[in-house]
Amino acid sequence: MFRLPIDSESFPLGKGPMVMLILFLVSTLFIFGRSEKEGENLEFWIFANTHYEEYQARVPIFEAQNPGVNVQLINFGGTMHDKLLAAMLSNFGAPDLVEVEITSIGRFLKGAIDEVGFVDLRPRLESEGWMEKLVVSRFTPWSYRGRIFGIPHDLHPVVLLYRDDLFKAAGVEMTEIETWDDFIAVGKKATRDLDGDGEVDQYAIVLDRRTESDYFSLLLQQGGGFFDEAGNVIIDSELAIETLEFFVSLFNEHKIATPVYGTWHGDPSNFAAMQDGKILSILSPDWYVGILKSQVPQMSGKWKAIAMPAWYPGGRRTTTRGGTMIGITKQCENPDLAWEVLKFTYFDRPGLVNRYETTRIIPPLKSAWDAPIFKEPDVYLGGQPLGELFIELAPNMPPRYQNPYWSEGADLLNDAIFAAVTEKQTPREALTDLAEKVRALMAKDRGRWGDL
Amino acid sequence: MRQKRTKNLFWNQQQKIAPYLFIAPFYLLFVIFMGYPLISSLVMSLYEMRGFQSRIFVGIGNFTDLFRDPIFWKSLRNTAYFAVGTLTLQLPIALLLAILLNSKFVKGKNILRLAFFAPVLVAGVFVAIIFNLVYDQRAGLVNQEFVLFGKEIGWLNEEQYVMPAVILTGVWQWAGFNMIYFLAGLQGIRQELYEAAAVDGANWWQAFLHVTLPSLRPVIAFVFVVSMIGSLQLFDLPFILTNGGEPADAGSTIVMYLYKNGFQFMRLGYAATIGWVLFFIIAVISIVQLKLLGIFRDE
Repeated sequence: MFRLPIDSESFPLGKGPMVMLILFLVSTLFIFGRSEKEGENLEFWIFANTHYEEYQARVPIFEAQNPGVNVQLINFGGTMHDKLLAAMLSNFGAPDLVEVEITSIGRFLKGAIDEVGFVDLRPRLESEGWMEKLVVSRFTPWSYRGRIFGIPHDLHPVVLLYRDDLFKAAGVEMTEIETWDDFIAVGKKATRDLDGDGEVDQYAIVLDRRTESDYFSLLLQQGGGFFDEAGNVIIDSELAIETLEFFVSLFNEHKIATPVYGTWHGDPSNFAAMQDGKILSILSPDWYVGILKSQVPQMSGKWKAIAMPAWYPGGRRTTTRGGTMIGITKQCENPDLAWEVLKFTYFDRPGLVNRYETTRIIPPLKSAWDAPIFKEPDVYLGGQPLGELFIELAPNMPPRYQNPYWSEGADLLNDAIFAAVTEKQTPREALTDLAEKVRALMAKDRGRWGDL
Repeated sequence: MRQKRTKNLFWNQQQKIAPYLFIAPFYLLFVIFMGYPLISSLVMSLYEMRGFQSRIFVGIGNFTDLFRDPIFWKSLRNTAYFAVGTLTLQLPIALLLAILLNSKFVKGKNILRLAFFAPVLVAGVFVAIIFNLVYDQRAGLVNQEFVLFGKEIGWLNEEQYVMPAVILTGVWQWAGFNMIYFLAGLQGIRQELYEAAAVDGANWWQAFLHVTLPSLRPVIAFVFVVSMIGSLQLFDLPFILTNGGEPADAGSTIVMYLYKNGFQFMRLGYAATIGWVLFFIIAVISIVQLKLLGIFRDE
């Protein structure tokens, strides 16, 4: 019979340490003894659960079509961007393919353009004719200095979701409104104290005054932004100031807006306020409809959607909020293969149809828009074909120019909006101060580095 | 003969080397995971990164920038607010709980001790998620009570309520943990001291002031210093509870600002500077606390 040369009695430090030693050896063997699958291996990092679930279903199809290729999907959740940053800083351990969220991409663009950790995809997009097939304005969040570092996952057009029943009860027909002035007029009718206790029981709209999300969406709708295409700070432009004045007036002058309940639009508190009938409308990107469906299914049939009110008759009726890109990192050893995986996950029509079915996300690939699913009635919106509305708005998406200083700027913009709404500063003061701070930051770096 | 001498030399050398070999793993790990990062971050605080590959020497530029940075000062104020709130609210509660659970008159002491200690077993992230619901503006537990007085407080939405909400959450999570230290301290006080005090005619309050508190001095000092250090390092609770420190940086703390600079703004040199300034703040406050509490006294 086989006997170990040593047993727990004779092990010098006793039984416990012996067990620990054995476990250590076994786990070491397990960790270092794992052999990589034969063939071409690609690593693909993801931060969003819904995307991960989609690719889990799609990637095996790609692997079956391409024998010998193994794509390892890793979902790191919210910490992914920090891990990617560490991998790029250490020049080791980055994946081949990675998805990056729109508010996080700026930090990856800091420094010399040649040192950005993503492959410039413009040559591939142009040589294969993809630029014309996608909504061009959606490349702006992922482009910097003429290079395209990512392919857009989505468009994220924004509509106005509203409680048809409650607006009708207030004698308002929302489909007739065209401009923000119209909205203010009907909003005043719909914002009401129902029980006469002196407190408003329902507000025409809920807006986030803690962060830039709603204000910046409105600014983009007008064609404004934080930075222009050349990277100049334009957040103190007259357009930006007027937009903030309008935003503040919805709270303080017209009193038709309530601040978001909780910490953001997806907060349980905000959903509770919706169910209580306290909130009558909300600016909603396509992905937010998916969240509503999963978080408050009991509100099915209560919402309807219209295009956002325009700033002037005939003006743009949508904006954009949020977004994700996919990029190929410079640490990827086989960018050609990564490009094929990218195309399969981002440009494949059945996959994009499936994406809309599960998440309500409209794809940036124009040729997918004629799929029947986008015309189907949406039960959650009382049978309204929501996809049709989103696709009608999709070609008018405003550009959103990316900049390495976006993160710093957005952090300060949050403070400026809050200061303006709470009347600690006028919108002009808040945005002028903000622009000066960001310009000073950029000037300091320019002084240190020369050209940014 | 020669062979024997070599063998002796080996044994002699081995005896000299062996102790160093035994302690080597600790020093090796310390150098790799503590020493190198510490020195590296000190060096980094004198530089500023430009993207992923380049950096430039800025000397004390990051330090001078930091002292002129209003968000840093606001974060420092918030952190100090939390620390003071912790020391003035949480520690007396912890001491009170310990006294109650050490008394002869309370029944089910073990169950209660476990119940008060249990929150510390919950990860900070989950505590924040739970308290997000507790502070819910519409349906939260806290507002359910306050609504009776006609006020629907936006605990995480109004600047003035954010830090009190974070402090109260900290009390829920850590008071039971500190209670254990006080409990251990109380159980270490000799009964004869109380008996002697009783003979001298001391009432309960006088016994508490003149026997319990002086006897607990080392424990109080330890809990004070550890709680202060923990408070100054506050990050995950307000970060999740306030969704990144908003509104208007009302929930921003020093470590949160460090994280934002390092990971969100890619200003690693500046982040390292914040880290070192925090280190000095903690070191100075800890030394002052220990001095004031008389821990360095010979007796």
